[in-house]
Amino acid sequence: MGKYSQDPQWADITPLPTDEGGPNPLAAIAYSDEYAETMSYLRAVMAADEKSERVLALTEDLIDMNPAHYTVWLYRAECLFAVGGATEQERQKSLRQELEWLNDTALDHQKNYQIWHHRMLVVDKLGSVEGEQEFVEQMFDKDAKNYHVWSYRQWMVRRFDLWEKGELEFTEGLIGRDVRNNSAWNHRWFVVNGREGSEGVKDKGVRTREVEFAMQAIGRAPGNQCGWNYLRGVARKGGMGLGELKVFVGQFAGLEGGEVRSSHALDLMAEILAEEEGGREEAGRALDMLKEKYDPIRRNYWEYRKVMLGLPAAGAAA
Amino acid sequence: MPLTKQEDPEDTLDELLQNKARIEELPSDQDDAFEDVESDDSGIPFPGKPTKRERRAEADLPLWLQQGTINLFHDELETTTTEARQKATNDCLPLLTGRRTENLALNSYGIPHLHREGHAAFLHSQLDTFPAPYVAIDASRPWFFYWTMAGLSTLGEDVSHFRDRLVETVRPLQNATGGFGGGHGQYSHCAGTYATVLALATVGGLDMVDRKAMWHWLGTVKQADGGFCMAIGAEEDIRGAYCAMTIITLLNLPLELPPDASARSAGLTSFTDRLGEWVGRCQTYEGGIGGAPTNEAHGAYAFCALACLSIIDAPHISIPKYLDAPALLSWLAARQTQPEGGFQGRQEKLVDACYSHWVGGCWDLMQAALSPSPSASNCEVKDVWNRAALIRYLLTCCQQPGKKAGMRDKPSTRPDAYHTCYSLAGLSHAQNHYHYDGSAATRSESGRLMAAFNWTAERATEEELREWRVERGDVVECVHPVFVLPMGVVDGVKVQFENGTF
Ligand SMILES: [Zn+2]
Repeated sequence: MGKYSQDPQWADITPLPTDEGGPNPLAAIAYSDEYAETMSYLRAVMAADEKSERVLALTEDLIDMNPAHYTVWLYRAECLFAVGGATEQERQKSLRQELEWLNDTALDHQKNYQIWHHRMLVVDKLGSVEGEQEFVEQMFDKDAKNYHVWSYRQWMVRRFDLWEKGELEFTEGLIGRDVRNNSAWNHRWFVVNGREGSEGVKDKGVRTREVEFAMQAIGRAPGNQCGWNYLRGVARKGGMGLGELKVFVGQFAGLEGGEVRSSHALDLMAEILAEEEGGREEAGRALDMLKEKYDPIRRNYWEYRKVMLGLPAAGAAA
Repeated sequence: MPLTKQEDPEDTLDELLQNKARIEELPSDQDDAFEDVESDDSGIPFPGKPTKRERRAEADLPLWLQQGTINLFHDELETTTTEARQKATNDCLPLLTGRRTENLALNSYGIPHLHREGHAAFLHSQLDTFPAPYVAIDASRPWFFYWTMAGLSTLGEDVSHFRDRLVETVRPLQNATGGFGGGHGQYSHCAGTYATVLALATVGGLDMVDRKAMWHWLGTVKQADGGFCMAIGAEEDIRGAYCAMTIITLLNLPLELPPDASARSAGLTSFTDRLGEWVGRCQTYEGGIGGAPTNEAHGAYAFCALACLSIIDAPHISIPKYLDAPALLSWLAARQTQPEGGFQGRQEKLVDACYSHWVGGCWDLMQAALSPSPSASNCEVKDVWNRAALIRYLLTCCQQPGKKAGMRDKPSTRPDAYHTCYSLAGLSHAQNHYHYDGSAATRSESGRLMAAFNWTAERATEEELREWRVERGDVVECVHPVFVLPMGVVDGVKVQFENGTF
């Protein structure tokens, strides 16, 4: 009685109904008639390996009903590339149409990840990144930490060589808006260091720029660990001695009665001191401060850091 | 901006696995989430001057929950992130400090008991037929089999009576070309296959798996760079590596790649070729692990990485070999949120109970890998993390009050099977000890990787329970640190497929 069974265009297909796995299946779903019917046609065309315009329409129907259906997405991609037109122009047109449809679907289903894998396949085939950066930014307006969108953005940068096409400024904008957006920090690291054959922060000029960027962000919000981790990462990869950061870190982690403005600063200070000759005892004192006052929830970890330094722990851990 | 479900920026593995956000948008039956909320609760943790009684109660709190600690630092700069965090903290603090109890029965330390019967009933309800709008889970039903079977087992319930029903239910999900899809007629997928295999293991139903076809299918998702795709044509990420190696090891499939595996053309001959190196490439500048190389560090992927490495060799060998262990340790330690005591999945994100397993489960593996090892008797420090804080978060903030029960991400969210399963697993990591036997063999005669079978579990002492403010009756069963199954189930599977022939 449904849309497909009544359509003469589908009369040649014998639908394959759901095998429920016995009379008493666990966690079954009381499918709507519409979904059950559409799925039964999908099973049938997949079994026959049919890739056609009508199958494309069928997958669109299913995605509307259930965008989390990875099989439908994967099969749709196969279909799209199989029937996408006879000439290059037609193929481009069908891929563009696909993208337009995807835009709406992505905005409606923020957290769906299949969409992003599909988009990657389509844009890769299309061979053009036009409009993509803007679209992705629209997604970040809604959730600036969406993991799949960030992963897609990295792919874009790699695939279309966007390393120097505004990506660094883009991360700067997002970090400016929310200095605790760690996804943006991670992207910045990727843009600076991820390019094949590039020196990244091993280049002195780049390193200086990135150290300054991190320090500025820390100055704005010393309690924000993103900046501290980035700074430590740059120093480590860039081959700087941590000691070079000591004066800066000291502003946020005064040891002898000075002000402690950030537990992360105290943590990094302990690391800096541990690398200094004869600095282990003092590093131990910084770790004690963390343990006893500034970050007691991680008491055991700070205690263990002392053990790693070869310092005696203060007895059984609580 | 109120943080409604749709706007919740928190990213958890559920949405990576099953697009949970869609499920949460569905109209839910009128539940009793708010029936027990005390009317006098202002939502402000410590308004006004404390009374004498409150001061005494304050002194009884652990240091990280005392005002002096909580008021140490201020967010200097308000952003979207700090707003969301402040709200989560405000929701949790009254529960953590016992100022609010949501009418849960309390133990002798003033912390809620584990509502065993309630959570078990909730998990049972997740096996009933879902109404039509739940079509969003149509591609992830295997997870419901796993979350319920694993969760019930962790609560101590014998689930073997589900055997015939489960075997019948998953039969149409198995593809002739190997592996399981999310439903009948769906492509085989690493996540769905992992969940199905684990669920079948808990009920003793693994006989129905076509092992030889499984081996062939896994050969099609192994990649030349060493990692695994989630399905043919799908994304490559670290879940694939953990899921595939779990399946191979539990079912004792040959490590040798099938002859038709495409990775062979790149010179690979074994499922483990380039695998450790690929996992190592997922470690980021922060020290944590991303879903794929260069992606942001994320707690769920840290577990996948550590568990995968703990399958391919002994943890104290493979973890320091492929990862910067001190950097990862530091990253993991930083995930325990002050003051909530649970774990967050990423830097500057919100506490969420499912990470009680994804991050909480890393400690067993890390502690076995560290040198000196805190699980060894001669180490001065017994633990590198805070068990008491996690236990308190789970029992005070994550148990849904009222008849419906179940466990939840955080007080502002609804319970679901996923969070119930992984909250209970997290409780198990916190309440029990797991030891790796470094003297045991890491390869069997049939060539099977044996490292993951060399774990033993040990119950906490009375003294420890007192320290964590837990009563013996609220301790859950031991959960295998690599396979996240009951210990006894893993022993059984180890024997069942000992000879490894097809
Ligand atoms: Zn969660």
